[in-house]
Amino acid sequence: MFKPTSPLLSGLLWKIPWRLSAPQKARQRKRLRSVDKVIDTVTAALYKKGFTAKAVEQWNHEMPREEEMLPKDKYTIFDRKEKKYRKGIHKLPKWTRVSQRVNPPGF
Amino acid sequence: MSYFRITLVRSAIGLPRRTTDVLKALGLKKRMATVFHAVSPSVAGQIMKVKELVEVREVERRLTKQEVHLERKPDPGYYVEKVGRSEFDESRRV
Repeated sequence: MFKPTSPLLSGLLWKIPWRLSAPQKARQRKRLRSVDKVIDTVTAALYKKGFTAKAVEQWNHEMPREEEMLPKDKYTIFDRKEKKYRKGIHKLPKWTRVSQRVNPPGF
Repeated sequence: MSYFRITLVRSAIGLPRRTTDVLKALGLKKRMATVFHAVSPSVAGQIMKVKELVEVREVERRLTKQEVHLERKPDPGYYVEKVGRSEFDESRRV
């Protein structure tokens, strides 16, 4: 049976929902925590040996942990072209495998 | 001596070339591959480049490939009985 939906009527049309679903958000939190865990392990191991690494120091200095982040920053990202300057983080290319934690202050 | 036990859990397909190169430098060629590297700032920097793709643990000892494999091997659910004679000889020897 033919359903006159937009993807069928006009060929290639991807429908990306404007917000994340609850399980997507849960998985996003899980990924954030897994990155935190890696950082913690590396920091602890280096500390025990008395080493320091610039990349690790900088991350620990600048980046919030999962539990310190606002929901706004966990699930959305700044975009200057968007109304209210925010769009879902799932619009970011490769969003499940890149770190995007901080946004411009005030937005 | 402590080591980083690094396992690649997410593939770098479609990510920038540099990411793949870092994984190659660490010796991670496919998903679920595990490598051991001594704790050092340079390895820490490499891990930081691919932190979203790997799982890291600090361990005391470098495991061999065989040992890593055996960790993942499920219990076969059976064991092979020894021949009566060899069992008898073994008990005699003790």
